[in-house]
Amino acid sequence: MNFKEMARRAESGPMMEAKDFLIKKVASNVMQLTGKYDIRWDGKTLVNLDDDLADRCWQAGRELLLSSGIYSMNSRRVIELEADEVDNALRFAPSWLVLGQGKDQVTIYHRNVEDRRLPFVFGGPFNADVSENMFVKLNEAFAQERIIDSLLFPGYLKQLDGQIIRPTSGLASRAAVLYGQWSREAVRRAGRPGMPITGHAVMGLNEIACTNEEWGLRSTDPRAMVLISELQVDDVTLTRLAYYIAYGCPIYIAFTPLIGGYGGGPEGTAIVAVASFIASVMLGGEIVHIGPQHIKFKQQTNQHSLFLASLVNQAVARNSHIIATTSHTTSARPGSEQYPYEFTALVLSCVTGGSNITGPRPAEPLGFNNVSPLMARLFAEVAHAGASMTREEAAPVVEKLYQRYKDNIDLEKTPRGKPFEELYDLESLQPDPEHRALYERVKEELKGLGIPM
Amino acid sequence: MIDKEEIFKQMREAIEAYDSEAAVKAARDAIDSGIDPLEAVEKGFAKPIRELGEAFDRMEIFLPQLMLGSDAMKAGMEVLEEAIKSKGGEIKNKGIVVIGTVEGDIHDIGKTVVGALLQANGYQVHDLGVEVPAARFIEAAGVHRADIIAMSALLSTTMLHQRDTIELLKNKGLRDKYFVIIGGAPVTPQWADEIGADGYARGAFEAVMFLDGNRGRWAG
Ligand code: B12
Repeated sequence: MNFKEMARRAESGPMMEAKDFLIKKVASNVMQLTGKYDIRWDGKTLVNLDDDLADRCWQAGRELLLSSGIYSMNSRRVIELEADEVDNALRFAPSWLVLGQGKDQVTIYHRNVEDRRLPFVFGGPFNADVSENMFVKLNEAFAQERIIDSLLFPGYLKQLDGQIIRPTSGLASRAAVLYGQWSREAVRRAGRPGMPITGHAVMGLNEIACTNEEWGLRSTDPRAMVLISELQVDDVTLTRLAYYIAYGCPIYIAFTPLIGGYGGGPEGTAIVAVASFIASVMLGGEIVHIGPQHIKFKQQTNQHSLFLASLVNQAVARNSHIIATTSHTTSARPGSEQYPYEFTALVLSCVTGGSNITGPRPAEPLGFNNVSPLMARLFAEVAHAGASMTREEAAPVVEKLYQRYKDNIDLEKTPRGKPFEELYDLESLQPDPEHRALYERVKEELKGLGIPM
Repeated sequence: MIDKEEIFKQMREAIEAYDSEAAVKAARDAIDSGIDPLEAVEKGFAKPIRELGEAFDRMEIFLPQLMLGSDAMKAGMEVLEEAIKSKGGEIKNKGIVVIGTVEGDIHDIGKTVVGALLQANGYQVHDLGVEVPAARFIEAAGVHRADIIAMSALLSTTMLHQRDTIELLKNKGLRDKYFVIIGGAPVTPQWADEIGADGYARGAFEAVMFLDGNRGRWAG
């Protein structure tokens, strides 16, 4: 199975309306598989300790993909898959990859449940709206954090030359070129010219224009594509896949199953998530990113999402050698105390479950530049510490953290935080004393909770 | 002597089982038995569909059930509406809505939830899908004799198309014909004001409440 065959089936598979695919295939198959494999959540567990449940969840997800296929949105056709095709693709998926160039190269690998090797850290603006004049500085501030392995989604350019960027416009292509140039400039300034830049922040097809070996994103930089929930793919993604596979870039595929959506509750959505992991590999994904969403909370540190992330990562870690990473989306914003509590809870459940980490970011950033490189450092430090914890050790810590913020995750009431300009000194690119004090204080507290920082 | 209560019960059960065929059959039975269709709407369909919306809000049921339940009601309602029309009467739906996600934007979940909940609450909803260009909103509004144009945008850049659709409506001299509401994560009441939309709602329940509270602002 290769991309050529997937692209062919996207044009020749059986035709179907999207709504029928989502309801009659995905939703109805999930309901049946939830019963068949007895996938259940007890309503309280945040970190899964049940290996058999994880294995059943893997089986159910594999079967969901085989019974549903992948929907090609624009051609309205279903890409159908056979069991041996799926099993072969999983067998030949890479279990490690080298990213970046020269002495800045880094290796990312598949991790097992409770793997003591350090997780790979993708850190950066993660698609927050970033203003033109702050783009390079802010990314340099992320890149100078040595603990971050790859710069992540260097920012969403909403405006350029005083104009809001209309997707697919000439201005959007110009933005893509600048995105490449400025991201490269940022890692150069930080003294890491070959640091991998995981990119996709400029929309749609225009995005391809940021590719250039000298000044832009290179063949050694992971390029991110996104599946459409649930189990759907569109022409833009297929087109970018065709190009980046040919260009030789490591392929980073993200998917965002929605808890409360077509998969139902956390149990059903966990099955959809496993199916999406495998679908991502079928489409050529070499690093697969899970970013589960929640229909009500719209973030990832609520109890449903914590449980799902822990269960699904364990299912994938135990039953495949997919290189997995999980995104971290919080309610609270950078600059608040709640922000690190939230991401720490999710980091511990993911890292002990075998995942690498991507993030963190607030679900609803306030205006431009609502990011903190210092908090990304703390995020990475927690993840490194988490690698020496077992699930049993992590579970009570996650529970304590969850209790602390759980009544404050409503996006309208959650702490507002501050933009980069108010958290950092823009000349020295160092966090200001207040922000540093917050970091020191929270880090001490996390140690106190038993995280071996 | 027909058993009215039994037929109402079948109507309710059809919605609760998300079963369009059963809803159509129960609605036909109601008509054939000479039950007043308006009474059938109220006692047969209205209550279970309200409960469905509430159960969805509590996360006891999920998107597929909400969509199937509101589809079942739509199918049953068509039968009742026909009967009312043939007697020269008219069912007043609360308003006809065309809803879609704007051009360049493929986020479909938010607008699907809003559409399903509006439909469940008595609006006639036509879902145009995603990546809907300005001209298509306007064309579809004409074809379906819509009262309300509802536009979803999830990206801070595609919000521009909400503005452009309103501008196009103005250029065509059609702005006053439609009540325009907008929504989506990056959309704010300020943006709605700035581009001259008639309203904004933060979520699906708020959208129902907002439209319910503004009836009379479209011809209906
Ligand atoms: C799921 C998701 C996706 C999925 C969409 C799957 C699908 N089938 O829809 C996928 C993976 C495909 C996707 C793709 C992209 N996404 Co996206 N996505 C999201 C995410 C995580 C959740 C959206 C969602 O479904 N929420 C659940 C529903 C129920 O909520 P909702 O949509 O907000 O709708 C509610 C209200 O807003 C309101 N509402 C919605 N519409 C309407 C309409 C009316 C008339 C009314 C009254 C009310 C209303 O009522 C709804 C119900 O309560 C958001 C993050 C977020 N916090 O919103 C990012 C987000 C919207 N995406 C984002 C981005 C950047 C992208 C991409 C550009 C990424 C990329 N580079 O490829 C692409 C865009 C592709 C494109 N051309 O559209 C950014 C946007 C940033 C920005 N500055 O604008 C966000 C905010 C994430 C982030 N923080 O970076 N995405």
